[in-house]
Amino acid sequence: MSDATADAPVEGASAAARARAARIEAMIFVGLLVALSVAVIVTTTTIREPPGSTNALGARVVPFAVGGLLLLSSLAVLIGQLRGSYGHAEAGEDIDLEHGTAWIPTGIVVVSFLSLMATIPLLGWPLGVTILFTGAALALGAKRWWVAVLIGLALGIITQLVFGSLLGLSLPPTGTLTSWIGL
Amino acid sequence: MDTWTLLLEGFATALQPIYLLYALLGVLLGTAVGVLPGIGPAMTVALLLPITYALEPTAAFIVFAGIYYGGMYGGSTTSILLNTPGESASIVTALEGNKMARAGRGAAALATAAIGSFVAGTIATLLLTLLAPTVARFAVSLGPSDYFALMVIAFLTVGALLGDSAWRGMVSLSIGLFIGLIGVDTLTGQSRFTFGVPQLGDGIDVVLVAVGLFALGEALYVGSRLRGGTIPIIPITRGWRTWMRRSDWARSWKSWLRGAAIGFPIGSIPAGGADVATFLSYATERSVAKPEYRKQFGKGAIEGVAGPEAANNAAAAGVLVPLLTLGIPTTATAAIILSAFQTYGIQPGPRLFDTQSTLVWALIASLFIGNALLLVLNLPLVGMWVKLLQIPRPYLYAGILVFAGLGAYAANFTVFDIGVLLVLGVLGFFMRRLGFPIAPLVVGAILGPMAEEQLRKAMQIGQGDPAYLVQSPFSIVAYVVMALIIALALWLKRRRARFEASLQPADTTAIATLDEEIESHEPHPEVDRGRLSTRATPIVRRDAERGDVRPDGRDDDASR
Repeated sequence: MSDATADAPVEGASAAARARAARIEAMIFVGLLVALSVAVIVTTTTIREPPGSTNALGARVVPFAVGGLLLLSSLAVLIGQLRGSYGHAEAGEDIDLEHGTAWIPTGIVVVSFLSLMATIPLLGWPLGVTILFTGAALALGAKRWWVAVLIGLALGIITQLVFGSLLGLSLPPTGTLTSWIGL
Repeated sequence: MDTWTLLLEGFATALQPIYLLYALLGVLLGTAVGVLPGIGPAMTVALLLPITYALEPTAAFIVFAGIYYGGMYGGSTTSILLNTPGESASIVTALEGNKMARAGRGAAALATAAIGSFVAGTIATLLLTLLAPTVARFAVSLGPSDYFALMVIAFLTVGALLGDSAWRGMVSLSIGLFIGLIGVDTLTGQSRFTFGVPQLGDGIDVVLVAVGLFALGEALYVGSRLRGGTIPIIPITRGWRTWMRRSDWARSWKSWLRGAAIGFPIGSIPAGGADVATFLSYATERSVAKPEYRKQFGKGAIEGVAGPEAANNAAAAGVLVPLLTLGIPTTATAAIILSAFQTYGIQPGPRLFDTQSTLVWALIASLFIGNALLLVLNLPLVGMWVKLLQIPRPYLYAGILVFAGLGAYAANFTVFDIGVLLVLGVLGFFMRRLGFPIAPLVVGAILGPMAEEQLRKAMQIGQGDPAYLVQSPFSIVAYVVMALIIALALWLKRRRARFEASLQPADTTAIATLDEEIESHEPHPEVDRGRLSTRATPIVRRDAERGDVRPDGRDDDASR
């Protein structure tokens, strides 16, 4: 716990800045939703309607309806936000809403997850999992890197054995770079 | 064959050792993830969807049934023992249960929650057994327009009722419906919104939607605002036989029954799920309580744990009625279970009870078995479950990411799906940040394609006349009922929001004093009252001395 009296003015200012950032973020998100709904409606006009099935509902009707619903509801949310009613971030036991968002660790977690796209074909499943687990655990605040590596490797091997060997899912044990391991 | 014979046959299947093991595995997993903060039943079922690629259907659904019920039990443990605000579904339990725990009566709160869940779960499963075949028999006569009406009800109630604001729910629902549209249209063979990407031709796998939004989105979101330090856990005692006083039993059993009576109907009609049921039960308990006990509400009234927990579990069983008999999911977890059925090429609906009779009855029997297992596992082993709360969060969420990756990759064994999953996960991340509910999206994505199919069938029968959709008496009734449900539930939600805003923090001393006052003329029958005696004095002294939340001074071996 930090000293509350010393931090109070700073905390107050940063809280206001955070609230403003959250409002901007909400506006951008809803703006993107409106753009998406327009795009859905425009794209729908390019869906080909095969001739012949005239009296039944074609392939365009439901997309139009969905695009319309998305447009209507996102505009309603936009108007609500202009009038000052914003959504509340989801609460949870592990979630600290009083402090700001840790963007850098979140970014590292995203990148670690994305790395699976390369590591599964190149290194195989167990090593891919090790990299993902280590990256994510360290980004989220794990203290000792070698513990994370060991748990990650164990998790990779166990899932490989349970889901790959036992349950018969075709998880690649090795990839193109590690085929010399010869499993 | 009548229901009872079929049910007995179901038991004969589900009691085979291998299926009992699967049931045990399911309830253990379910309780574990229910206890773990940040992981709900929807996420667990989503993460475990890959087992459907390997297990036979009966085993898979027995596991899912165990997870489904186990998650409810585990969730109450967390909300009672964790001294932090939880998610909204458990807020009512936390309201009274957490106060009870802080006054040193955590064990009684846990016990009444677990026994109440068992009682209500069993009653509700029994009602499900009796009701489901009847509904299925009736549902056989429903036409496409009636089904479309039911699906519209499911969409609008889920969209409008889950989450803070109705419009945000509708946004979430329509994003889900849009995701459901991606792919080649089954009726005309035209590709829609695929942008020429061949992998999108088959549509976005529902496994990806569920795992991306629930597992990856949640892990990213929690990771971005991970609470530093450890969460204070309120210790509980050993010796579970002395957990509930005689007066606790007397005050609880009626609440359990009332909770079951409130929860089951609300679960079976799509009316906003367990949230509404728990709140309604809480409000009922408070209004029917004796004046003396009513004072205790907000300060650790046992009825306020017993009723809502029972309602929660009864609602969970109620949700299975429309799912199994009509193929209509009304919660996110039900939607994911529906997609698991589809993986096997099984379509839940009225014909399910004819075509997959063995599977359905084994599933229902395993609900009874799972419920009993949960009671046995939960009461004596609660100390073990509490240990799970101490898993370091970095490893917990990194592990979730691994299983999310497994689920995504195992869907089609292409890394393209990992990319799709990440896009959905980032979407879920921002939706959580900005207060959009997730469940309507998942229900929309899973139910949307089915609704479109029914709509177009209906229009074919009605030869393109939209009036056909509202011609059958059933569909008219359905739309009217829907309007009523939404109006009623929105009113309830407003009441609930106002009520939650009016909550005041009660301090531990006041809770304990009130509890002691009630106990003074309702003495505990046992000489040894366990370690959970409710004396106000030590609590005050200890709190002042150490400034922490330990409810009694002798808790060194308490959480062991």
